[in-house]
Amino acid sequence: MAETQILDEDELALRQPPESPLREFWHIFRRDRLAMAGLIVLVLLLFAAFAAKALTEWTVVFDPATVRLVDKFKPPMSAASTLLPAEDLPRGGIYLLGTDELGRDVFARMLQGSFVSLSIGFVAVGISIFIGILLGGLAGYYGNLRIFRLMTVDTLIMRFTDVMLCFPTFFLILTVVALLPPSIYNIMIVIGLTSWMGTARFVRAEFLALREQDFVVAAQAMGLPERRIIFVHMVPNAIAPVLVSATIGVATAILTESALSFLGFGVQPPFATWGNILSDGKGYIFDAPWLFFIPGMAILVVVLAFNLVGEGMREALNPKLRRRT
Amino acid sequence: MTLRLKWLLIIAPVVLVLALFQSVFWVPTYEAQTTGNPARLEKFIEASIGDAKILNPILNADTASSGIVDKVFEGLLDLDENLNLRGRLATDWTVTETAYLAVNPRAYFPDGSPVTTGELETRIRRAVTDGTLNSLQDNLIDIRLQPAHERTESISLRSEDDTAISVTVDLHVPERVEFRLRKVDQDFFKRLEVIIGDDYASSAPYDSWIEVEPTNKRNLVAPRFAELLPVFEHNPIIRFNLRNGVHFHDGHEFDAGDVKFTYEAIMDPKNLSPRTSDFEPIKSVRIIAPHVVEVIYKRLFSPAINAWSMGILPEHLLNEDAMRQEMDRRGLSETAREAFGMRDSEFNRKPIGFGPFKFVKWQSDEMIHLTRNDDYWEGPPLYKDYFYRIIPDALTQEVEFRTGAIDTYGTLPHQVARYTDDPAYQSYSSLGLGFTYIGYSNRHPILKDKRVRRALGMAVNVDEIIKYVLYGEGERITGPYPKNTQWYDATVLPLPYDPMAAEALLGEAGWRKNADGWLEKDGQLLEFNLITNNGNLVRKAVLTIAQNNWRKIGIKCNTQLFEWAVLLKDFINPGKFDAVVLGWSMGVDPDLYQIWHSSESGPNQLNFVGYNNPVADDLIVRIRREYDVATQRELTHRLHAVIADDQPYSFLFAPRGTRVLDKKIVMVDEEGKLSRLKQTKTGSIFFYFNRWKKLEHAVEL
Amino acid sequence: MWPFIFRNLLQRLVLLVIVSVIAHSVVHLAPGEPSEVDPANPRMKPEDIVKIREAFHLDDPLYLQYAYWMRDLLTGELKSFKDSQPVLPKIWERFLNSLPLFIVATLIIWTLSFPTGIHAAIRRGSAYDRSTTFVAYTLISVPGFFLSYLVILWVVEWLGVPVIGMRTFGMEEAHWAFRGMDRVWHLVMPSLMSALAGIAVLSRYVRSQMLEVIGQDYVRTARAKGLDEDTVVYRHALRNALLPFVTMFGFLLPGLIGGSVIFEQIFAWPGLGRLGYDAILSRDFPVILTINFIAAALTLAGTFISDILYAVVDPRIRLE
Repeated sequence: MAETQILDEDELALRQPPESPLREFWHIFRRDRLAMAGLIVLVLLLFAAFAAKALTEWTVVFDPATVRLVDKFKPPMSAASTLLPAEDLPRGGIYLLGTDELGRDVFARMLQGSFVSLSIGFVAVGISIFIGILLGGLAGYYGNLRIFRLMTVDTLIMRFTDVMLCFPTFFLILTVVALLPPSIYNIMIVIGLTSWMGTARFVRAEFLALREQDFVVAAQAMGLPERRIIFVHMVPNAIAPVLVSATIGVATAILTESALSFLGFGVQPPFATWGNILSDGKGYIFDAPWLFFIPGMAILVVVLAFNLVGEGMREALNPKLRRRT
Repeated sequence: MTLRLKWLLIIAPVVLVLALFQSVFWVPTYEAQTTGNPARLEKFIEASIGDAKILNPILNADTASSGIVDKVFEGLLDLDENLNLRGRLATDWTVTETAYLAVNPRAYFPDGSPVTTGELETRIRRAVTDGTLNSLQDNLIDIRLQPAHERTESISLRSEDDTAISVTVDLHVPERVEFRLRKVDQDFFKRLEVIIGDDYASSAPYDSWIEVEPTNKRNLVAPRFAELLPVFEHNPIIRFNLRNGVHFHDGHEFDAGDVKFTYEAIMDPKNLSPRTSDFEPIKSVRIIAPHVVEVIYKRLFSPAINAWSMGILPEHLLNEDAMRQEMDRRGLSETAREAFGMRDSEFNRKPIGFGPFKFVKWQSDEMIHLTRNDDYWEGPPLYKDYFYRIIPDALTQEVEFRTGAIDTYGTLPHQVARYTDDPAYQSYSSLGLGFTYIGYSNRHPILKDKRVRRALGMAVNVDEIIKYVLYGEGERITGPYPKNTQWYDATVLPLPYDPMAAEALLGEAGWRKNADGWLEKDGQLLEFNLITNNGNLVRKAVLTIAQNNWRKIGIKCNTQLFEWAVLLKDFINPGKFDAVVLGWSMGVDPDLYQIWHSSESGPNQLNFVGYNNPVADDLIVRIRREYDVATQRELTHRLHAVIADDQPYSFLFAPRGTRVLDKKIVMVDEEGKLSRLKQTKTGSIFFYFNRWKKLEHAVEL
Repeated sequence: MWPFIFRNLLQRLVLLVIVSVIAHSVVHLAPGEPSEVDPANPRMKPEDIVKIREAFHLDDPLYLQYAYWMRDLLTGELKSFKDSQPVLPKIWERFLNSLPLFIVATLIIWTLSFPTGIHAAIRRGSAYDRSTTFVAYTLISVPGFFLSYLVILWVVEWLGVPVIGMRTFGMEEAHWAFRGMDRVWHLVMPSLMSALAGIAVLSRYVRSQMLEVIGQDYVRTARAKGLDEDTVVYRHALRNALLPFVTMFGFLLPGLIGGSVIFEQIFAWPGLGRLGYDAILSRDFPVILTINFIAAALTLAGTFISDILYAVVDPRIRLE
């Protein structure tokens, strides 16, 4: 029995609309020069972030924590003071990106921040996507099920989504972050918990559409377990637009974190993020402009890269989306 | 139609953008604001981070509000440029005392005979005349016998299960000998010991003097018996002679009734005044004549007089009649009327006082506008208008200052450094009344060791913090008093910065470095959390530097920042913290009871580090009961040394506050001579604000 | 149609109540206390704190606190914890301050986005299209406060005129034209800054809508008829592309109350966003909850209006 089932499933897969191969997607994506530039930036950034984790925490090559008051506000590329004890000297005796108001090495802090900022983006989006797919999928697939004969699952979930949409998002984030103890995890969770509504809505729409498609109807008729239908047949078909919105979601989360930092609710020390380096640096814009420009430009470039890649993906997927409707 | 739409789409944005951006040509630049605009020279514009909350001298508790309130209202007295009291609405005042000695029928005279009213009075009178009580002679005005009487009080307490309850206490006050004294003498009853013996009070029959209703709560009240009905009672009395012919901004004349009303308003529980504790020692306020008022205190409490620098309220605008009228005007419902108190009155948003400035307008979070009071009793200020602008961001404050749209703001240390050399600006630096410290919890198993605290203090490079973080705008301190008051003992030396010695001291306390380089004792690391509040750059820097300094000698310190409300509620108030970077903003009086007395170390109290030293406790109590300044000074110096030795805090520094102003602002004396702005002993320049003036062009002075 | 409207309104009312209950519990259950209950204030004694907590009903069960809040809100007698002033007039005052900012920003967004978006669509793939795409994404990607500070510093150094606040202080005696223009100037910067992201998003949306429509058959037919390009674009295509934007008027509504905290903070603009932000910091529960309540009500009203508008402009949709 099990064997036939697998066979049947393979057959089913064949009968699905011709799945746009990754290659086709890549072919279109590659032609978009802005998106490609964004992709290159992101790949570099990813490397930087992991290198950062390794070089600032596992083996301290670049030390983001050492305070050297003698060397405060050194501009980028300046040499360290000779007054410093040997163990406090920066790598190579030079501050690549200058020092901050306490004489900490901005390059090391930016490196450390890249990992933290990225993980905030990814974890927050992960949470939001997970909730979005779960609720959107439930609403889309089990939409007609009634609970307590009162309302359908779909109504319940969608009304809840509406409730969440009623809160002004940033105000809600601010309220919750202000009221919770300030930890990096809380910020990830809060950003995630307040940004899943969009995903839920279009996953539901996708599911509603997919539910009517022949291959799903066929799979149901064959009595495949629902779990299998949902996760093997439906989720992969709905995942493309989710990925697009996730990519843009990471960009938004990084911006949200920097906005929270500006208002004093961001990630707390000892974690350095680009957001809090920027908002700390803004006070010293006349004394040490690099403290403001370096993190600001870094955020701009990375967020832009995420947005462009997201847009490129959307464009590349677009013909496919059209074909279906 | 098609083409029109096309052109509309192009013209509309162009027109809009042009219309918006042309407005820049109408806005005055820095120079244009003063030259050729004489009206601007008569306005003073100050910027602040936060808005005022409530413009009522008895209700406000924040600095922004009190800044405005000080300009609109005036107290009976205030501090002059040398921090001595001077009269404002009071022309002068005298301090005397009435002391009461309760007749304790259970006590015995030193010769063994029992105490009776008659015998007690005779013996005291005899001693005064025959010279046994020589020390009293100069001070004593007369002696009387006060007959026994009844009094009922209602007091609120925490019951066994920690809920607030209210009990009624009936006091059967026995006959008492009343002494009227020329000046306050905290050792008065000690001097009487030659007659009544040194154990007179301990046998006081409180079971017959005090009844508690409900009776089962008696044991809860028992600790307060001696306070409710003391055997030895000191009643200091302050008599104020008030200034004649002072008028409120609405023309109503000020008199003793307003003083009494202000006191009663503070004590009215409905008003939730944050100043009740300052006025709680008052027994009664009596109007002697329209411009003479007498304040009688329950007990010795020398800082009490400072409370009268608080602004006096206009009775005619806030008494019950006025409140009823306001409620009618606003058409409040029954429930709202019941809860209506002075806090709800519109007066707090458009106050009327008799200070040098009159209130004009308050736009929340934008500005407060005051204008000159031409009838001010000391002569009107030179500025015509005063604007208090709220700009919540330190950077844009500076930007606005550079465009000339504000005259002054709370300049941060790193900003000051840029203006000191600029010829267009003048700056004044002053040591305020505050200081920054690292406080260690006395409940913490590691930090309760004095040697550890000392070592921690020695490992932090405070001089470097002052030099680099504060740009030299701060001074080292060694103890709990503001450095520019006489209470501070300048001879106490600060802990030296000496990491080696700190390590040695920790070694002495049993801490050894382990393989990873961290200090360890009995398998336990020398590790604790250091916290502070969010949003204060200097404290954040101190936190980071201390952590870094300590790491170097093997102390593992974890740091965290919390938002103010959370820091207080979850850590400071319940006393659940290891170490904290905070600051105190002190008053000028020498009373440190709330911050350092061991009885104040419970939850929600200010001695949150749990400092407990009987010697310090005794000194603290003596200081607040002493009315002689020289003696107080001697006591405070001793207290300073005791606390400095215990190092419950690492006392770090007192920051200097700096004001940067346009050079065009000068001071004009009575004869019209111009000079640079003068500073008081605390360095404040605003003391002479009423004599300030802005010139069209800067002059060299 | 009427039953639909009625049922819809009822549903939204229920939603509003749920939202207010959730908001109430979140705010009250979280740590931190109203700043008036400040034991660190040396002047406060434990008894005073007990009194204040009682006056604010802070020790009552949550549902009672909710009931008190609702009662006071509906009778208009709700008082702020912070200064005991009635909450609704307070919010109204700030609303009036935020309103001009909102109006100017909306004007800027809507007038600038359409030409930009339409041109980008017509010349799809051109250098113009690509550069507007890039600029639009840059505007979305830059942290708002970073850009604002740059612009402020640049304007102040270059033009030397004040930009912070609602007006230049100290020119109260100047001619009204100067004062009026001064106010306009102070509006320009903050509204432009808060409009930038909006311009980017809306012009992208206009572009994609136009592209969609231009590809449709009737546009091709119009072209085939030999109509000139302007007529095709502005009469036939644009009209149909505009349809969905009508519904967006509904979504403008919540923007009225969601004044941007960050821009108001930077430009010292005494608007609603800052009122809410300060209320959060000082745990002024009545103000936080009321702003949230009004925002939720406006959001619901906004989506409701959009639904109706959509049905009105698009004959294919019938309300059932």
